[in-house]
Amino acid sequence: MPESKFSVVPLIAILLPWTTLVAILVFPKRAQRLRLWLCSLGSLATFGVVLSMLPSVLDGNRYTINLASVVENLEIRLYVDTLGYYFALILSFLWMLATIYSISYIDHKHNRFFAFMALCESFILGCAFSANMFTYFIFYEMMTFGSYPLIIHEETTVARRAGYKYLVYAIAAGTVLFFAIVAHYFWGDGQLGFGKYGVLSLETASRAALMTVFFTYLAGFGVKAAIMPLHGWVPDAHPAAPSPASALLSGVILKAGAFGIIRVCFNVFGVDLMRELKVNVVMAIAACITIVVASVFALTQDNLKRRLAYSSIGQVSYIILGLAMLAHDGALGGVMHLTHHALMKGCLFLCAGVILVKTGKKNISEMAGVGYQLPITMICFSVCALAMMGTPPSVGFITKWLLGSGSLEAGLPVYIVILLVSALLNAAYFLPIVYTAFFRWEGDELDEHGERHHPKLVFGKEADHKLVIPVVVLAALVIIVGIWSNVPGFPYSLVSKVAKAIFP
Amino acid sequence: MGAWRHFPILMITVPLLGAVLLPFLGYLRESWVPHVALLPLGFSTVLGFLLLGRIPSDGYLSYHLGGWEPPHGIEIRVDYVGLFLMLAICGITLLALVFSRHYISKEVSRGRRTAYFVLFLLMSGAMLGFAATGDIFNLFVFMEILALSSYALVAITGNRNAVRAAFKYVLMGAPSSIMVLLAIGFLYSATGSLNMADLAQRIAESGYTEVLTVSYILFVIGFGVKAALFPLHMWLPDAHSIAPSPISALLSGLLVEVSAFALLRITFSVFPRGAADLIGGTADAVGVAAAAAVLYGGIMAILQKDLKMMIAYSTISHIGYIFLGLTAFTAEGLTGAVYHMLDHGLAKACLFLCAGNFIYVKGYRRIEELKGAWRQMPWTCFAFALASISVIGIPPTAGFISKWYLILGNVRGEKWLYACVLLIGSILAAVYCFRVIYYMFFQAGREGAWEDSWNDAPPSMLTPVWMLSLGTLFFGIFSYLVIPSLLKAAAFLL
Repeated sequence: MPESKFSVVPLIAILLPWTTLVAILVFPKRAQRLRLWLCSLGSLATFGVVLSMLPSVLDGNRYTINLASVVENLEIRLYVDTLGYYFALILSFLWMLATIYSISYIDHKHNRFFAFMALCESFILGCAFSANMFTYFIFYEMMTFGSYPLIIHEETTVARRAGYKYLVYAIAAGTVLFFAIVAHYFWGDGQLGFGKYGVLSLETASRAALMTVFFTYLAGFGVKAAIMPLHGWVPDAHPAAPSPASALLSGVILKAGAFGIIRVCFNVFGVDLMRELKVNVVMAIAACITIVVASVFALTQDNLKRRLAYSSIGQVSYIILGLAMLAHDGALGGVMHLTHHALMKGCLFLCAGVILVKTGKKNISEMAGVGYQLPITMICFSVCALAMMGTPPSVGFITKWLLGSGSLEAGLPVYIVILLVSALLNAAYFLPIVYTAFFRWEGDELDEHGERHHPKLVFGKEADHKLVIPVVVLAALVIIVGIWSNVPGFPYSLVSKVAKAIFP
Repeated sequence: MGAWRHFPILMITVPLLGAVLLPFLGYLRESWVPHVALLPLGFSTVLGFLLLGRIPSDGYLSYHLGGWEPPHGIEIRVDYVGLFLMLAICGITLLALVFSRHYISKEVSRGRRTAYFVLFLLMSGAMLGFAATGDIFNLFVFMEILALSSYALVAITGNRNAVRAAFKYVLMGAPSSIMVLLAIGFLYSATGSLNMADLAQRIAESGYTEVLTVSYILFVIGFGVKAALFPLHMWLPDAHSIAPSPISALLSGLLVEVSAFALLRITFSVFPRGAADLIGGTADAVGVAAAAAVLYGGIMAILQKDLKMMIAYSTISHIGYIFLGLTAFTAEGLTGAVYHMLDHGLAKACLFLCAGNFIYVKGYRRIEELKGAWRQMPWTCFAFALASISVIGIPPTAGFISKWYLILGNVRGEKWLYACVLLIGSILAAVYCFRVIYYMFFQAGREGAWEDSWNDAPPSMLTPVWMLSLGTLFFGIFSYLVIPSLLKAAAFLL
C-alpha cells in the first residue's frame, strides 16, 4: 500500500447516512415531511463529504482508517484510493438524486424505505472505501441484505417473488464469494489487501489454485454484475422495485459487483498475472455473450423497466469486456463506463418512474403520445437513449470510442464488431420507445376532414419538481460529462490516473 | 499467591452452594427465590471478569483443592480457552435466569418454581466445573450433576410430552454416562492416574495399548451423545423444543457446547501428540459424522413447522460445525470451534428466548403463526433477526468470524470437502432463518392474530434477549479482542 495518512473523513462519509435513521426515530410521525427532508439532507451531506475529499485525492493523497483488526492481515480498514473514490463519488451523487426523487415517489411505508436506502448507501460506500477483500466482503454482504426491503417495497406477489429470487441468487453468490476469499487468503499467504499491481503471484500458489480463486471471484461477483448466465434475478428485481430503487440497483448495486471484479483484476491479480493465466479470455467471452444476448432479450420485452433491466445486463458487461482487453484504453473505457452507465440508466429508470406515476403505464405498447404529456421527461429519456447507442457528444460515445480503441490496442478487432452489433441492438430497442412516445398518439387516425389531430406539447404541468429535477440533472450530465470529461471529479480526470498507473 | 487464584473454585462452588441453600428460602418466601438465585451466578460472573487478563493465552492456572498436590489431589485447571467458555456460561446462564422470572409463571406450576431455580443453579455450577476441571473423574461427576439436573429441568412442566421427552433424554443420556465412566475406568486401569496432565505424561511414557484406543472411542461416543453429534442426536429435538424456553436456551446454547469442549479437553490434554494414529482414525469418523450433522440438521430444520423444533435442529447442524472445526486439527479450526461455541451459544440462546417471548405473549409455537408478528412485538422480532443473521454467518456478526476460521481451518488442513460442507450448511441456515424473518416482517398475518399496537414481552424478558443478540454483534465487530489470544491458545493446545 502506498504511503497513506490517517483520516476520519471516510468514516464520517460512511456514518452520515445513519443520521437518517436518527431522524426517523427522533422526529414524531406528525413531522413526516420534516423527516423526509432530513433524509435527503443526510444523503446530500454524504455527497458533500465525499466531494470534499476530491482535491486531496487528485493530489495523490491516500486516506486510511483502521476500524478493527481481527488478526494481523485480517483487518477491517477503510482506504481511499483513486479507484475507490471514483466509485464513491458517482454512487453518492446518484444516491442523493434518488433520495430526493423518492420523497415524492414513495407513497407508503416511507420509514422503512428511507431507512434501508440510507443503510445501503452506508454499506456500499464501505465497499468503495474498503482497503482489502475482507472489508469489501463484509460491506458487500450487508449491502446485499440491506437492499432486499427496497426490492420488495411494493409488497405485491410479483415483488415478493422477485425478492425471493434475489435472495436465492445473493445467498448462493455470497457463499461462493466467501469460498473465494478463504482460498485467496490461503493461497495468497494471508494477503487480502489491494496492491497497486496485484498481490497474488505464481510464486506462492500453483496455476490451478490461482485459477480457482479467480473464477470463484468472477462467479461470486458475477451474480451482482449480472454476467450471463448468472443474471436471473436482474430482470425480475428491477421492474418489481420502486423506480428510484431500480435506478440505484442498476446504477450502483450492479456496479458493486462490477467494481469487485475491477478490484480483483487490478488490485488482487494484477494485469501481468491475468495475462499469464489467460483468465481474461473467459471473461471476454462471457462479456461478449452477455452483451449480445441481453440486448436480444431486451428487444422482446414490452414492460419498459424490464427492457431497461436487460439493457443494464448488457451494459454492465461493457465494463467486464473493457477489463478483459488488458489494454490501457480498454481498461479506461470499461472503468469509465461505470459512471457513464450509472448516469444514463439512472436517468432512464427515473424517467420510467415519472411515466408510471403520471400515467400509470408500465408497458411500452401503451405509451403512445406520452411524449406530449411529459415532454421534459421524454426529452431526457431520448437523450439518454441516444447516449446508450453511443451517439456523440455523450458519455456513451466516449465509452464506445475507448473500448474500440482498446480492442485495437489488444489486437482483437472482433470486439469492435461486438460493440457495433450492440449499438445496433441498442438502437433497435430504444428508438421504438422514443418513436412511440413522440410520433404516435391515441386516436392516431384521420378524421372526416382527412386531418390528423395532433396533441399539444404541455410544458410546466409535468410532475412534481422533485421527480423532474433529478431526471433533468442526470440527462444534462450525460451530455456535459460526455464533452468535458477531464473536469476535476469527472470520470476521465480520475480514471486516467488509475489506468496510467496500471499500464505505464 | 493472590486471592484471585481461588476464583475458579469459587466460581464453581458458589452456584452449587446456592442450589443447596435455595430450598430453605423457597420454604419461607417463594417469591424471593427468582431474585436471590441471581446472586450466586452474578458473583461467579464478577469473579470470571476479574480473572480475565490474569490467565495468559499460552498457559493455565492450576488450583489444587485443599492443598493436595495432583496427581492425588483434585486439580482445577483453567486455561485461556476454558476461562473464555466459563465467562460465556456465566453470562448466558445469568441472562436466562433473568428471563426465567416472568416466563416460568406461564409454564411451571407454583409448587415447582423453587425446584426450577435450584436445578438451574445446579446446572450452571456443574457446567462451570465441567469447563474447569483438570481431573477426569471430576469431569464425570460434574457431567452427572449436569445430566441429572437437565433431565429434571426438561420434565419440570410435568405434562405428558415433557415427561416423554425427558425419558427419551434419559434413555440416551444414561448409557452415554456409563460409557464415559467405563472409558475413565479403562484409562485408570491402564495408567493408574486420573489427573489429566499426569495421564498425558504417563501415556507418553508407556506408549499405546488397545485399552487406550477403546477408552478414547468410548469417550467420543459418550460425549458424542451429550453433544448430540449426529447420529447420536435423537434426544435433542424433543428435549430442546419441549423444555421451558430458558432451559432450551441453556441446553442448546451451552450444554452441547460444553460437552464438545470436554471432548476437546480429552483429546488435546489427555492424549498427547503421539496419539495421532489413534485420534486420527477416530477423528476421520467424527469428521464424517459432523459433516453429515451439518447437512442433516440444516435440512431437517427447513422441514420443521414448530419454531423451537426448527431451532433445535439448527443446533444439531451447528454442533456439526464445531466438530468440523475440532477435527481439522489446525489452530484456525480450533479457534473457529471455540469461537463458535461462544457465538452459537449467544445466538441460539437468543433464538430460544425469542421463541419463549412468543409463547409467553401469545402462546404461539408454530412458524406460520408468526406471520406479521413484528407489528405487535417489534423488539423480539428484531432481536430474532439479528441472532438469525449470526446463525447464518453473515457479517458483521460473530457467526461470520467463527465461520471464517472454521472454513480457513479446514482449508489449512486440506479438507476442502468439509469447507464446502460448511458453506452449504450456511446456505441451509439462510433458508430456514430467512423463512421465519420473512414471515415476521414481510407477511401479513391472519386477521386478529396480532394486535396492531406494540405489546411486547415485559422488559425483564426483552433485556436478556437484546443483550444476547447485541452480544453476537459485539463479538463480531470486536472479535479482535479475543481472536489473537484464542489463536495462540489453540496453537498451544496443538
